[in-house]
Amino acid sequence: MKRRNFLKALATTPAVAAFSCADRERAARLAEDESLSDADLSWHKAPCRYCGTGCGVEVGVHEGKVKAVRGDEASPVNRGLLCVKGYHLPAFLYGEDRLQYPMKRDGDGFTRISWDEALDLVASKYQETLDQHGPEAVSIYGSGQWTVFDGYAASKWFRGGMKSNNVEPNARLCMASAVTGFMTQFQSDEPMGCYEDFEAGDDFVIWGNNMAEMHPVLFSRILESKRNKPGVRIIDLATRRTPTTDYADLYVEFKPNGDLALANGILHLLIKNGKVNRAFVDENVIFKRGIEDLDQIGYGCYGDNAESYTFKDKGRDSSFAELERFVADYTPERVSELSGVPEAQIRALADIYGNADRGTVSLWCMGVNQHVRGTWMNNLITDLHLLTGKISRPGANPWSLTGQPSACGTVREVGTLAHRLPADMVVMNAEHRKLAEETWGIPEGTISPKPGYHTLDMFRAFARGDVKVMWIQVTNPWVTIPNLDRIQRQPGDGRFVVVSEIYPTPTTEIADLVLPAAAWVEREGVFGNSERRTQQWDQIIEPPGEAKEDAWQIMEVAKRMGMGHLFPWPEDDWHQPMYEEYRSFTLGTGKDLASYEQLRETRGMLWPVVDGKETRYRYAAGHDPYVKKDAGVHFYKAKGYGEKAAFWLRPYHPPAEVPDDEYPYWLSTGRVLEHWHTGSMTRRVRQLHQAVTEAYVEINRADASELGVKTGDRVRVVSRRGSVELAAEIDGRGKPPRGSVFVPFFDESKLINKVTLDAMDNISKEPDYKKCAVRIERA
Amino acid sequence: MCGANRTGIATTGRTAVRPYMTPMSSAGRISLALLLGSLFLLGACSGPAKVAVPGHEGAVKTAATQRTERRAFDGAPPVIPHENFGITCIECHDLEGMEVAGTGFAPPSPHEGTLGLSAISYCRQCHVFAVSEDRFVGNTFAGLRQDLRRGGRLNDLAPPTIPHKTFMRENCVACHSGPAAREEIRTTHPERAHCAQCHVAVTTRATFTR
Repeated sequence: MKRRNFLKALATTPAVAAFSCADRERAARLAEDESLSDADLSWHKAPCRYCGTGCGVEVGVHEGKVKAVRGDEASPVNRGLLCVKGYHLPAFLYGEDRLQYPMKRDGDGFTRISWDEALDLVASKYQETLDQHGPEAVSIYGSGQWTVFDGYAASKWFRGGMKSNNVEPNARLCMASAVTGFMTQFQSDEPMGCYEDFEAGDDFVIWGNNMAEMHPVLFSRILESKRNKPGVRIIDLATRRTPTTDYADLYVEFKPNGDLALANGILHLLIKNGKVNRAFVDENVIFKRGIEDLDQIGYGCYGDNAESYTFKDKGRDSSFAELERFVADYTPERVSELSGVPEAQIRALADIYGNADRGTVSLWCMGVNQHVRGTWMNNLITDLHLLTGKISRPGANPWSLTGQPSACGTVREVGTLAHRLPADMVVMNAEHRKLAEETWGIPEGTISPKPGYHTLDMFRAFARGDVKVMWIQVTNPWVTIPNLDRIQRQPGDGRFVVVSEIYPTPTTEIADLVLPAAAWVEREGVFGNSERRTQQWDQIIEPPGEAKEDAWQIMEVAKRMGMGHLFPWPEDDWHQPMYEEYRSFTLGTGKDLASYEQLRETRGMLWPVVDGKETRYRYAAGHDPYVKKDAGVHFYKAKGYGEKAAFWLRPYHPPAEVPDDEYPYWLSTGRVLEHWHTGSMTRRVRQLHQAVTEAYVEINRADASELGVKTGDRVRVVSRRGSVELAAEIDGRGKPPRGSVFVPFFDESKLINKVTLDAMDNISKEPDYKKCAVRIERA
Repeated sequence: MCGANRTGIATTGRTAVRPYMTPMSSAGRISLALLLGSLFLLGACSGPAKVAVPGHEGAVKTAATQRTERRAFDGAPPVIPHENFGITCIECHDLEGMEVAGTGFAPPSPHEGTLGLSAISYCRQCHVFAVSEDRFVGNTFAGLRQDLRRGGRLNDLAPPTIPHKTFMRENCVACHSGPAAREEIRTTHPERAHCAQCHVAVTTRATFTR
């Protein structure tokens, strides 16, 4: 009904009594508001802005403002359901302190400047630094929230224009260990399965991931499957009880790093119990073994006073016979001692993986990836599937989940890690460089063969002054870098930091120049989610003020530095041509992306997309067009392994820092359901902020009692590196075991990363945010 | 915490929906716009937060203004308006709902009949407590409001069409019957269980052409 008719109806209505004041007030507001109905909005598809699940949403817009979202029932990812963050998406765009104009450092504050001035300034700082200090002194630090366009522009500009590989994403802190896991085993990144595994599987073994809070929609798919299919089981392997535990059929609590021993213990029992799928192994698997000497590997952290950390290991050939000897030591008795897991539970897990009649899906995310031996853990979980042949078929897969909306699509597929190029290629490989140079139309030899700094080394180099210019986009490192005090800086210290952001953060506070960014549906974009689904959306509304999308910012600076030839597309129509150029890298490689037209029309496509058809299960005959019919499973990307998958023998190693008398507690950090990453978006949404207002520290009840602390009391969490004051929470949603505490990292006023340790995985260089030693003091 | 799946909401054995109201008078049959108009004419006032339910001695429900305040926009999941009682959600928000002394009426879940993915079990995936009145910074988001003007019908005697999406709202009686139901959308005939027999969802605004 149009407003005029409505008012007309009002005028002719007889009074009807018996309704409350509140209802009258409600009706009055209705008339005043000229309330819209959902049919008055225009609805557009987009993927959710937050995590790596990649839920489809429909965005309802009226007069240039987002008024509502709803779960997209047509999306195969979420089938209409969202989580509380997703349902509150529209509000994150409208925080009162949205950055709208370029702002230049002026003493303690900032002064508004024009885009021309800002872009000239960035270009001149980069040029000056290149001229005086060379390509190793410049850097760009982005994220897994970069769209494909942003990441592609950054990578092409840096590698093809600046001749520097100092392109890094925050995803180094997030899923780099999954990349090295897949690369070392399949020579091609990303999972073989898809979300349909959550209906097809029987046993879901969750390794160190609070999935109910971190991937709620996917967890709901498993819960729904459990409801529909009797016998579906959830096994929660964790270092503390979480909401995920509440739904688990079996809860297995292990000591920090005990997962390494546990996986080897399961391998030991699989072999001992005759559960090895010999036919599958003989056909599809080779064995590899790497450097295992702890002294040689180290942890690359504060304790070592490391200024940089490098470790290289190609591995050597091994065999099944060597594996038998290798895991002979990992008896249930010894594994129980190392991991704290009762022998009966180790045997139960071996029975689950060893049962050939049931599909097993292993799920993991940060607990395994943010691990001083994260690559090893990735390898070991996949080893369990290789040994039993439970891989590349519906309901039986190792399943690496991601935490950012385009960690896969941009960081891993476009290649914005310091050593990577599109489609699984790397800068160290001369053929790969040549192919990239040809596609980009730049002279041979332009791309440097030397990988750039990995994230922690990049920030250490920045702290030393070796990196002099850093452009930070879509991420908040002054909250997220572990052992944060190592990278403190003052504006005017001779280095130059540019930050593209949508809101003020601790990172914009230390910046020399802040550039306002367009967010989510304020620009056109492409994301790639955890299940290899590439999703496109159109710009739906205008960004506020003078905010511009990140890719545009990069291209404008490149043009000012005489590198405009890298971006030869019309200024008003560059998205599709840029995508098509990028897509050309993928065609024929087994990582083939869908055409832009097809992405526009669909709710995303699972690559490889060949002849317009997506692939639900990689490497599997009947699913993957690169595998011959009746070939079973074929790991065709692993050319270096004879097109077989590599089973890596990986031992137990202790954590980098363990509790002692002075620092008697383990500290683990992570997220909560309501907030995403550093909360720069979600905290500006009233409902989310009011649900979880500030960070807290979860303490075990018995420990709290000993400390004389109850819920709400202020305590200080102190490590060798720093301290932070927090409210204690006892028996809240998370319940750590004795001797262990947990703190979420979303709260910029309670920087837990001043306390964490910058120890890292030897292969992926991903830091371990889950284990360091602290003490608890009453504040 | 809500452990719906563990306690097995689908197998509580209580499937019949209790009719809260006897079939109603003329007020229930007048068209929505007329009804709203009458409300408007009575003017605004600062009403009570809890509203008495006609015909239900002692029962109170939420005012419409409060309903709005609990949602970022119409279609967003409401925040949980009460403190954490430390029990599972479905102990009160069961198939029928219940009056909780001192708190108000706990409505039944509208999701209960939903098939597929949306038959969710982890309530706090979408519904969160508000533990604070604090704001991090202000926000100018103005969301879609509930629209009670729709639900067209051929004539006064014809059943109105369903004006909203039914996804995750299959349990019609959760909102259209019982003490939680707003007068504007309250059914006159809660005893008739199969709502879709007469009320159909509008899926398009286009008219049929051959």
